[in-house]
Amino acid sequence: MSEVDAPPEPQAPPRPRRNLAKLVRTAAWLALLVVLLALPLYLDAAWLKAGQYMMIGGVGAIGLTLVVGQAGQLSLAHAFFLLAGGTAYTVLSGPAGDDRVIGFGLDPGLSLLGAVAVAALLGLAFAPVAGRLRGIYLGVASLALVFLGLYFGQSAEELTGGTSTGRTPAPFSLFGFPFTNDGPEITLLGVPIRQAERTWYLFLLLTVLAFVIARGAVHGRVGRSWRAVRDNEAAAAVMGVSVMRAKAGAFAVSSAYGGLAGAMTVLWFDILKPDESEFGTYGINVSIAFLAMVIIGGLGSVPGALVGALIVNGLPQVLALYSADLGWFSGTGDGALTPVLVSSFVYGAAIVLVVLFEPGGLAAIGRRLTQRRFRRQPPEEK
Amino acid sequence: MKRTHLAAALAAVLVLSACSTKAGDSGSSGSDSSGVKTGKGVTATEVTLGVMTDKSGVFKNLGLGVTQGNELWAKDFNAAGGVCGRQVKLEEVDHGYKADTAKTLYPQIEPKVLGFVQLLGSPVVAALKQNLATDKTVAAPASWSSELLDNPYVMIVGTTYDLEIIDGLSYLQEQGLIKDGDAIGHVYIDGEYGKNGLRGSQFYAKKHSLTVKEVKITSTDSDLTNVVTGLKGAGVKAIVLTTTPAQTGSAVATNKALGLNVPVLGNNPTFDPALLKSPAAGALDKLTIVASSVPFSADLPKAKDVAAKFKAAYKETPNGGVPYGYAVGEVWGAVLKKACDNKDLTRDGIAAALKQTTSASTDNLVAALDFSKPGTPATRQVYAATPDASAEGGVKYVKPLFEAPEAKEYVAPHQK
Repeated sequence: MSEVDAPPEPQAPPRPRRNLAKLVRTAAWLALLVVLLALPLYLDAAWLKAGQYMMIGGVGAIGLTLVVGQAGQLSLAHAFFLLAGGTAYTVLSGPAGDDRVIGFGLDPGLSLLGAVAVAALLGLAFAPVAGRLRGIYLGVASLALVFLGLYFGQSAEELTGGTSTGRTPAPFSLFGFPFTNDGPEITLLGVPIRQAERTWYLFLLLTVLAFVIARGAVHGRVGRSWRAVRDNEAAAAVMGVSVMRAKAGAFAVSSAYGGLAGAMTVLWFDILKPDESEFGTYGINVSIAFLAMVIIGGLGSVPGALVGALIVNGLPQVLALYSADLGWFSGTGDGALTPVLVSSFVYGAAIVLVVLFEPGGLAAIGRRLTQRRFRRQPPEEK
Repeated sequence: MKRTHLAAALAAVLVLSACSTKAGDSGSSGSDSSGVKTGKGVTATEVTLGVMTDKSGVFKNLGLGVTQGNELWAKDFNAAGGVCGRQVKLEEVDHGYKADTAKTLYPQIEPKVLGFVQLLGSPVVAALKQNLATDKTVAAPASWSSELLDNPYVMIVGTTYDLEIIDGLSYLQEQGLIKDGDAIGHVYIDGEYGKNGLRGSQFYAKKHSLTVKEVKITSTDSDLTNVVTGLKGAGVKAIVLTTTPAQTGSAVATNKALGLNVPVLGNNPTFDPALLKSPAAGALDKLTIVASSVPFSADLPKAKDVAAKFKAAYKETPNGGVPYGYAVGEVWGAVLKKACDNKDLTRDGIAAALKQTTSASTDNLVAALDFSKPGTPATRQVYAATPDASAEGGVKYVKPLFEAPEAKEYVAPHQK
């Protein structure tokens, strides 16, 4: 469905066919965007809701693929940054003067930026740890943040609303335009553009922004320094890359993405409700799901992360909708195949297959397919 | 490959623009020939009620029981003539106890139903809170937290967790097991369920100058040995639990093993008859359970009737969800009939009829319910029971439905 970019590593000298390839690729991206823009005119609210959930996964997965795939730092803390971003948005945009919870009454648009900033700062604060550790050690250290988040969610009731009730985030609006059923009645081709459709366009905009910025980072100097640090820290330092800075930067950028995904999560749920145990909306399971997206998509590939999110976040949702419609997987009791179970099998199997047969993930498969079209010989695999 | 992709994408665009867009929601509201106003979820022959349950997640047994109770009620209700000349139909979906799945399934089921006869799981109810208010859909959550009552569309069938604990403590005091000024321990799961129960013990403690030693746990903790040991050190005279059945087992076993042997009080969700076959079985004698709904094999005419119908219709192992699911149906039936008398079967009509329902009777499956005061629990009465392996359903009633004087005075969080 989506196109995959060429490997970010230096290329062989360009051939005339490359320009054609570039043109076609751009056209394909645009076509995809047009389809996505048109979808709310055809899909019902439930499907739009599922699509929005995939976009949340997409934004989060792009952030994680940058830090894990590009900078080579395993992070299991992504769910924590989701909680941080969601809480920051809710607190900043919440009405001031509520006696139960703290709110600053800021404009929702500003609050969204604030949420991203807060998450980025928290990521920076963790940078001293991230800079000193590597691989599984960093994974375990970052996992501690998820438990910190669980404790924070339970105890900082003035901010999170507590596990018992949570709190309602302010509905999103941009320059006074509400993304709810209120405000001006808009119809497009006879379709009323209400909350589900408006939120779809908002999330699409955020996802496109996230995507473009990440592509820019990967193809630019920043991305090169991250990859240098990933491949060999000593060599990177010799070439003049500040290893600590590159690592801290990667972690902060990835946290910012997590924060954005968190703010989208509370908007999607219409509630910020901290988890009651370590599994939940901001729990270990979410961190692992994001990791699964990144691995299936191909470590370090931005479009791959989107496809991974489509599979991991989308599959349970789509199967549940189909099962309600068509009576698939509607068994009950022990040993019944259910949408949630089936999708766990699928993405579990996908991870195993990727690790065994194609460590580059779906991105590498896509790359091979497209390059066979436009090149005489496939490029040398690294 | 690229070109094919491009072609495919462009073709998709063309196809999409060629086919008609989704139809705008034309409200099928109006009045039928007898002057009854109808809206979403009501046709000339049917009233559709929604069931969002857990058939595949952690609460699949309870979810299945409640759903089967709902189905039994619908069968009986239709056999008795239905409402306004219409039969009740149930539209069931399984969310697997996942809030995200429920959030996506809701817009799919919402246009088809008048209201929800079952909404299972506190994370799900929390996620859908805003939707219920926006769509004005009355829903009966299978969660009994009084915190949910700030939503006028939520109909809680039974006593809330806080009141269960207040009634239970008053029963312990009446039995002379605790006295004013004692220290008691309260072990609670940090969340909607446990915290709401804690409100109850805090209120009761203030009334009777008790000291409450609060211990916060998560639903995934399985061993409460150190918790109970700590409470022993604090010299508690009783332990209150708002925990899972497995945790209850661990707590009562430790209570016995340490020689602490203080009375233990648990509310409805803390006990499961399976505990009688667990290693903790020998320690259950100290446990008192307070609940507002009856177990499957309760010794009540209506419960026996439901049990007999269940055995005729289903093969699964029954649980307390069955009579509860039936009871919720009965309440819905009362509300539907009231709405029919008002000649208004729209969602607004249901919400208005709910407010007028002051004594919904479920033949004692649940105490009589009064929904006329939004924000206030519909009943404050509970049964007190003790585990008893020889009794049907695993518990023996030690006190029939009662309401403690303290429970009368208690002000629920959203009570006006």
